[in-house]
Amino acid sequence: MEAYAKQELQKGQKSSAAFKWWIGSLVVLLAVGGYFIIERLVFGLETTNLSSITPWGAWIAFYIFFVGLSAGSFLLSSLIYVFGMYQYERIGKMALFTAVVCMIVALTFVLMDLGRPERFMNAMVFWNVISILAWEIHFYVVYITLLVVELYIAMREDLVRLRPANNIRGKIARMLTFKNSTITEETKKRDHRWMKILGIFGIPLAILGVHGGTGALFAVVGARSAWNTGLFPIIFVVSAMVSGTALLLAIYIIKTKVTKAQIDRKMVISLGKMMIAFLFIDLLLQFYEYLVGVYGLEPHHLHNMAIQMGGPYSWSFWGVQMFLGAVVPIFIVFYKKTSENINAILIAAILVVIGIIGVRFNIVVPSQIVPVFEGMPAGDYFPTLNEWMVSVGIGAMGLLIFTIGDRLLPLEEKPESLEGEGS
Amino acid sequence: MLKQMLEKDWDRVADGMVPNAKEELDQSPYSTQLGMSMADDARKVVAGNMDIQSFHKKYHSSLLGEFGDLFTQEPPKKDGSSTKGVKWGMVIDLQKCVGCDSCTVACKSENRTPPGISYNVVLEEEVGEFPNVAKVNLPMPCMHCDNPPCVQVCPVKATFKLENGIVTIDNDRCIGCRYCIIACPYGARSYDFGESYEDEMLSFNDVTSPEYGIERGERGTRKTPIGTVRKCNFCLHRLERGEEPACVETCIGDARFFGDLNDPNSTVSKLANSPRAFRLKSDLGAGPNVIYLK
Ligand code: SF4
Ligand code: SF4
Repeated sequence: MEAYAKQELQKGQKSSAAFKWWIGSLVVLLAVGGYFIIERLVFGLETTNLSSITPWGAWIAFYIFFVGLSAGSFLLSSLIYVFGMYQYERIGKMALFTAVVCMIVALTFVLMDLGRPERFMNAMVFWNVISILAWEIHFYVVYITLLVVELYIAMREDLVRLRPANNIRGKIARMLTFKNSTITEETKKRDHRWMKILGIFGIPLAILGVHGGTGALFAVVGARSAWNTGLFPIIFVVSAMVSGTALLLAIYIIKTKVTKAQIDRKMVISLGKMMIAFLFIDLLLQFYEYLVGVYGLEPHHLHNMAIQMGGPYSWSFWGVQMFLGAVVPIFIVFYKKTSENINAILIAAILVVIGIIGVRFNIVVPSQIVPVFEGMPAGDYFPTLNEWMVSVGIGAMGLLIFTIGDRLLPLEEKPESLEGEGS
Repeated sequence: MLKQMLEKDWDRVADGMVPNAKEELDQSPYSTQLGMSMADDARKVVAGNMDIQSFHKKYHSSLLGEFGDLFTQEPPKKDGSSTKGVKWGMVIDLQKCVGCDSCTVACKSENRTPPGISYNVVLEEEVGEFPNVAKVNLPMPCMHCDNPPCVQVCPVKATFKLENGIVTIDNDRCIGCRYCIIACPYGARSYDFGESYEDEMLSFNDVTSPEYGIERGERGTRKTPIGTVRKCNFCLHRLERGEEPACVETCIGDARFFGDLNDPNSTVSKLANSPRAFRLKSDLGAGPNVIYLK
């Protein structure tokens, strides 16, 4: 235990130049974004390109994107803790922490999007029980609480081990654990059991409550027929799994590269395959969604698809969602020469994440371009500089929280603690 | 002299002027006896010697026998609430609408809506192919739906239906999430971005309309609806004064009718049940209370 603490001690102290650059640039981005956030708060939504015809834009797209990342990362972690796929344990705690950070980012986007952000507490106080959005907000709170508790239990052993360390990590570990905390066979078992219980509660919460529910926000709107299908929330959940897996894969590869640690090739390759498997399910569901839409001959729905696939945003559908986000990664993972190449898999994972951003935009924007009532003016929306920069600022905030957390908390699975789970 | 008159003196004067009830009632085709005894009992009800329920019970069947279908009133319930209160509705005759947009202008000046917000729009569409073309003008306020999708989705109950059927927004509670705009099938809702006509129109900001009967004071202060969602409210503040909505009053073609859809004898009820009547997007089940005549 002492040796571990010593090793940790050294790690905490050396901050490479690259790391300083990384933190520095994030802080600059956050500051620039902060300027635009203040501009938005002072002048209201006039700083955006939103209108009464397209009332939802980039921030809502990013919000559902990050909720999806969170749900996806959490579900991946539950594969480990609930279904016992311990071959992925290396990224288990990272997955939980990513899920927490993504929720913080998602809710910040919602806050930015509210016309009256100072009234956000109304959403907790006045609960309209027939409103999906009201349910979602409550689900998010429960979900974040569950994530934090689960993450804490997952880290507990490492925190206890870190207690003697004489640096900031040790200090935080001492703050977070009791003096008499120990690691015994018994606590191991207890922690394990709790992880499993929380994971079991978390799965329906993440699927039905958090991300399926976020899909239902759109699916229940009868006025917008392209959203109004029963498959819609399911597609949300599946694409969340796609993006969550891809994001964790990318984080893991980048982190091991930066810290020059030993990479677990087998895990990377199998995670890559899993990501593509989810992607296939996602594509299949979308295919049926479009097929039924076309045969439905519902004018509003057809119009919507025409805009999505052939309108001014078709580059986002064909270029980002389909080509970059699906065709290229599938090719990389299956092509013999690239399928074993870590760098290629990293590119595939990043492309999948970008592709899902495209998916989210293609959900939110085109449906509001089609006029909700025939004869009304069509929407025309592209985010303004303010909207982009606010998004960059919030993204930088998320990365900063992630980096700092990663530095201060024992999120990485240590080889010795892995051995114990091998059974 | 007037001051010295006592009650019985007044009675005498009145007896001389008021026509004889029996004679008057005899001229009508309906039962004199029924009218006389109802009047007697009505006096008892007013004086508090008889309660309204027993009054209704006593006369309901004879009134039905006497007036048949014309008699539609139901007795008030025990708790005092009547089964059906008023339900405001509007009928718009598309054959009479000339597409002059007067209603939109009247609405804008009545409700002093800012740039980019109009509670009422008139859509103009050409239908058919040359030479068989027709121009259709479709004036659209908020439909004040029976099952309003906007009310379903609002997370904070900031938008809700009043007993009189009007769908309102509580601008002090609305968080501006704009979900209701997404959900409204009729595009009736607008977000208040805070724009103003102040530049073109001096002191535009000083006077605002008492929407939903609430005076919000100068535009730009804390109680302003800026940052929240707004829409047509059937001019509730005018209804409370006994006036029709501004668009109805102003319509040059007399195309708009306003009234109580729960009263089967009102003009709107009769028109709403005419064979010409139709509702927009009726398949959605929102149940709009603005009805069109084709
Ligand atoms: S027309 Fe729209 S805003 Fe008006 S009640 Fe219906 S759903 Fe609500
Ligand atoms: S914008 Fe306001 S009225 Fe509309 S759903 Fe949100 S809180 Fe309710």
